[in-house]
Amino acid sequence: MTWRVGVDIGGTFTDVVLADEASGRVAVLKVSTTPRDFARGVVDGLAAAMRQHGVVPADVGWLAHATTVVTNALLEGKGARTALITTRGCRDVLELRRSARASLYDLFQDAPAVLVPRHLRLEVRERVDAEGRVVERLRMEDVDDAIDFIKRHDVQAVAVCLLFSFLADAHERAIGARLRAALPDLPVFLSSEVLPEIREFERTSTTAVCAYVGPILASYLDRLERAVTGMGLPAPWVMGSSGGVFTVAEGLRMPAMAVESGPAAGVIAAALAGRQLGLADVISFDMGGTTAKAALIEKGEITTTAEYEVGGSGNVRRWLHGTGHPIRVPVIDLAEVSAGGGSVAWIDPGGVLRVGPESAGAEPGPVCYGQGGDRPSVTDADLVLGYLDPVALLGGALPVQHDRARASLEERIARPLGLGVLEAAAAIVDVVNAGMAGALRIVSVERGHDPREFTLVAFGGAGPVHAARLAEELDIRTVVIPPIPGGFSALGLVASDVRRDYARTFYASLATADPAEIAAVYAAMEEEARVMLRRAAIPEGRWEVTRAADCRYPRQAYELTVPVAAGPVTPETLAGLAAEFHERHRQTYGHASPDEPVQLVNVRVAAAGRLQALDLARAAAADAPAVPATRQVYFKETGLAPCEVVPRAALAPGVSRPGPVVIEAADATIVVPPGWRCRVEAGGFILMERRHG
Amino acid sequence: MGETDPATFEVVKNALYCAAEEMRVVLAKTAYSPLLKVAGDYSCGLFDVRGEMVAQGPDLPIHLGSMPLAVKAVIEAWRTFEPGDVFIHNDPYFGGSHLPDVNVVSPAFHEGTLLGFACVRAHWPDIGSGTPGSYGASTEIYGEGLRLPPVRLYRAGVLNEDVEQIIFTNVRTPEERRGDLRAQMAANHRGALRLAELARKHGPARLLAIMGEVMDYSERMMRAMLAGLPDGEATFEDVCDGDGVLEEGEKDDRTFRIRMHVIKQGERLTVDFAGTDPQVAGPMNAPLTVTASGIYTALKMVADPTDLVPPNSGCWRPVTLRAEPGMVVHAVAPAPVVYANHEISHRVCDMLFGALAQLVPSRVMACSQGTSAILTLGGVDHRTGGRYVSYETVKGGFGARPTKDGVNGLASGISNTMNTPIEMLEMSFPVRIERYAIVPDSGGPGRWRGGCGVERVWKVLGHASQASVCLERTKSPPFGLAGGRAGAPGRIAVVAPDGTERELVSKGPFTAPPGAEVCMQAPGSGGFGPPAEREAARVRADVVDGYVTPEAAARDYGQRDARALACPACARRP
Repeated sequence: MTWRVGVDIGGTFTDVVLADEASGRVAVLKVSTTPRDFARGVVDGLAAAMRQHGVVPADVGWLAHATTVVTNALLEGKGARTALITTRGCRDVLELRRSARASLYDLFQDAPAVLVPRHLRLEVRERVDAEGRVVERLRMEDVDDAIDFIKRHDVQAVAVCLLFSFLADAHERAIGARLRAALPDLPVFLSSEVLPEIREFERTSTTAVCAYVGPILASYLDRLERAVTGMGLPAPWVMGSSGGVFTVAEGLRMPAMAVESGPAAGVIAAALAGRQLGLADVISFDMGGTTAKAALIEKGEITTTAEYEVGGSGNVRRWLHGTGHPIRVPVIDLAEVSAGGGSVAWIDPGGVLRVGPESAGAEPGPVCYGQGGDRPSVTDADLVLGYLDPVALLGGALPVQHDRARASLEERIARPLGLGVLEAAAAIVDVVNAGMAGALRIVSVERGHDPREFTLVAFGGAGPVHAARLAEELDIRTVVIPPIPGGFSALGLVASDVRRDYARTFYASLATADPAEIAAVYAAMEEEARVMLRRAAIPEGRWEVTRAADCRYPRQAYELTVPVAAGPVTPETLAGLAAEFHERHRQTYGHASPDEPVQLVNVRVAAAGRLQALDLARAAAADAPAVPATRQVYFKETGLAPCEVVPRAALAPGVSRPGPVVIEAADATIVVPPGWRCRVEAGGFILMERRHG
Repeated sequence: MGETDPATFEVVKNALYCAAEEMRVVLAKTAYSPLLKVAGDYSCGLFDVRGEMVAQGPDLPIHLGSMPLAVKAVIEAWRTFEPGDVFIHNDPYFGGSHLPDVNVVSPAFHEGTLLGFACVRAHWPDIGSGTPGSYGASTEIYGEGLRLPPVRLYRAGVLNEDVEQIIFTNVRTPEERRGDLRAQMAANHRGALRLAELARKHGPARLLAIMGEVMDYSERMMRAMLAGLPDGEATFEDVCDGDGVLEEGEKDDRTFRIRMHVIKQGERLTVDFAGTDPQVAGPMNAPLTVTASGIYTALKMVADPTDLVPPNSGCWRPVTLRAEPGMVVHAVAPAPVVYANHEISHRVCDMLFGALAQLVPSRVMACSQGTSAILTLGGVDHRTGGRYVSYETVKGGFGARPTKDGVNGLASGISNTMNTPIEMLEMSFPVRIERYAIVPDSGGPGRWRGGCGVERVWKVLGHASQASVCLERTKSPPFGLAGGRAGAPGRIAVVAPDGTERELVSKGPFTAPPGAEVCMQAPGSGGFGPPAEREAARVRADVVDGYVTPEAAARDYGQRDARALACPACARRP
């Protein structure tokens, strides 16, 4: 038997998913995230899940992992104390950004704090010109001064970004060598290694992000890798922001690729669910403990963006700069809001109820966990409203203290607002839903898509509790809850293909380029891809290695990606590439200039190793059967009234129920409000439809 | 046809704004000149059949006021339209803003029904005239470059080669302009395509109705926002540096005055420019629509900072501007206009904040950089033997706010163009950027410090460059509010290869010899509140990071013990 294992660390819970390749059996286990030592939670979760399902390490052929450590470090400003070394005269490039503001009319806006404070931005005398020639030699004495300074200022990582290093990297390499020799334990990131691409701000920003999160990611992945290999498991793959996976070593070279790793897995899982149910247009909605994320899947395709800014206040306007720190790696186009089960409710100085952005997180957690949390969160409100089991969550694994949650809501929210406890709890749910509806609007309405034409696939620990009411806000009529909503993101880790994109900058005019040189670059990248696929133990029959090239007219600043045929690269190949570029330009923009030369900018290789398809249909049996019951549940239509509570395992495929009803599974609770009807589909999916009126 | 249901309205409204944003992306991705493809000096919009602006992309507020007139000028001149038509014009006295801003207008159709127009206004780095970059200090618009009334460049998809030849014969670097023009047409094509798709989906009648409803919605929202501000009247006066022209007997460029009287009553705002100086000899004269853009921008920032009101023609119905023709804020032909487009627009925008500070002090900001801080360079690129024209703007400080510091080096008010990456600039043009850095002590002292200005130094390589500058607030530093002090003024100088430095006047052409360095400092912004009230910890943090020198900390904030904090990394290197 060969098992695939996926581990997804969220802000509150760590999910472990096991999938048996042969039978398609899927199981999920949730354990609390351990923020002070993430790896411990992972190891505990893996051990428990494998024990529970009788899996021995030798049977595990695939271990993939999604992590929030990178995103969290940026959002919370808790990355390494980073120094930046730049060309003389250019240390403020990182702060001056692209000089445009993110919001045209908001006079109170600020860009996020610069990752490297100004006193840690150091300059060295050196200069390379636009043709890649050294016009001022590198002064090593300046580098030594910088090293002295770095030693005295408790610096934890260094980013080096010199002008035109994407054309000539000798100066960056010399600085890197000197730094590494003098400070062997200090992580050093060179922009020419991280992102050898034109545009100094974006390159500096990407390099600074890598340095800022590098030490945290390194210590984390190092501990993780040692822990899992210590258990006899294979080395972990890491899910990247574009939906592909990479090795630990590659991740440490380019930590920015681990941004939005968990959410990427969730979107892949949602696309998979859509495919299985024959739904091409889907909005993926993932609500966990600290954040909610939405992504749009149109005609089965996930959209990615190369203009991503991380750590900003939501990715509303892709084209406007200034909301976060730009990273030039492909990222799944997500809208994310700070709203989750752990989001703390509070009353602002103006006497208005607010929810988040602060989260009770995993520690201390919501009040009802009884782990020292004393400020009411969304989970506490859900509990008081009767949506969650008043005794214990996670199928009994997590006891909760209903009275404490109620008392805290009463004292901190209801009384100051002059409301009853239930009204206060309902208000908290309304506020958090409105915020999350914003994220759904960003990916649909704001981009000109009508959400009414989409199905909401809702998952994450808290997603199925809130999904139906949220759908009402956007007039969405159909909601799908997947078989294991609580661990659904992790399912993306074991059910998605192995993907890796390789790119090299190669400036040349297609008319004069040497085909042999281009062939050599492709060959090198393809070899890298084959090594990766072999390591992943994907049989050669399921490899897909494709070539592409980024081309543009010489005076343009942006490229179009054009596929390139496999096989030998000849002058005819390049002429064909040029013709194809003109044609694509015409198709995309309505005009072409066939008399102009075509500039080659990047050559690309995409490698995919198709995993054997998993059949989610068999996943439903994971819950232990239990008896139906009734408890008091609050809905705005009914007030507090008795409501049927059904164990998910008791619902056979084909069963249909009108709301209100609460469906409980080990990993998540599904709330079907009045006005909705739920139906159990084959494969363990639950479909909720809004009745008219 | 009845009212559109709220959900459809919301979806179509956003689809219109998305289409305008998409036009913006198409333009950036296909344009040839760095000013367009990386700096973003253009605006895209969708217009109804009467030429009213229904949706502007997330572009430049400077074009809010005058874009509708640009489309209306085409409608008035041509009346009937066919699919495949493309019109072009740039006349500031015919709905344009200044000659380098070239409007390209295309009608959109659905099965023979005219749906409206797509328009891209893009700043061409050169439009002819005696100076590369078309930023010379002429005294009549005839000297400012090629002036195009609304002409039809394509009729039903067929190019009028005569018009095209006239255009490309009169501008420098025509190959680059050709690429930019194609990009503008591509953006319009995309906008018109999206309009047609919406018409197919919702029916043309419904789409046209929604286009009207979107403007009515903006009007309603803006009226509600205005009604939420306190009523009252306020007057604000400011002095401009000069027009770049030394007239008979002048030793220095003569300053001139703008005065505004603001009346906010109920859901209306009136701005009266009585007492403003008459138009000037040099190109600091603003067509009224250019003045209006500055007013609209500040008003939207005060009344609607979270951008709830979609920017379109409906927004401005509750606003009245009064200015006599022949004033510097209401130019009449043939007054030259090229600098005024942004400099007067910036000026009146900052001034409206100053005036409204008397009515709503918690919703305004101190004066920002107040200039687009422009340097144009031109000549022959020794690397290729071909001609080049470069046009760049440098961002200074973004004004201090009632509860926050200003921002260092950020586009403010009517502007939101991006900088040109140094690497893109140097690959394109024969210059080297020697320095691009924050200027210490340039943020106006205050309880909330003004944003620092920025210095950019260009070294001219291998040729003598025919340059020109446009930099307001070299004599009239950006004002502070509520006791905050002014930011540092702008400064422009040329350092010859032998090291001798020559300071220049704020506007006009000059020559930079090979190896010379052109040093421009964009102004810092004004502070907010008395400097004595600034928290000591903030002053110290500013000294650590070198935004404020220890000397200024002692002088402006009374912090005499800050010297030891100054970080060696912030000391300027040789």
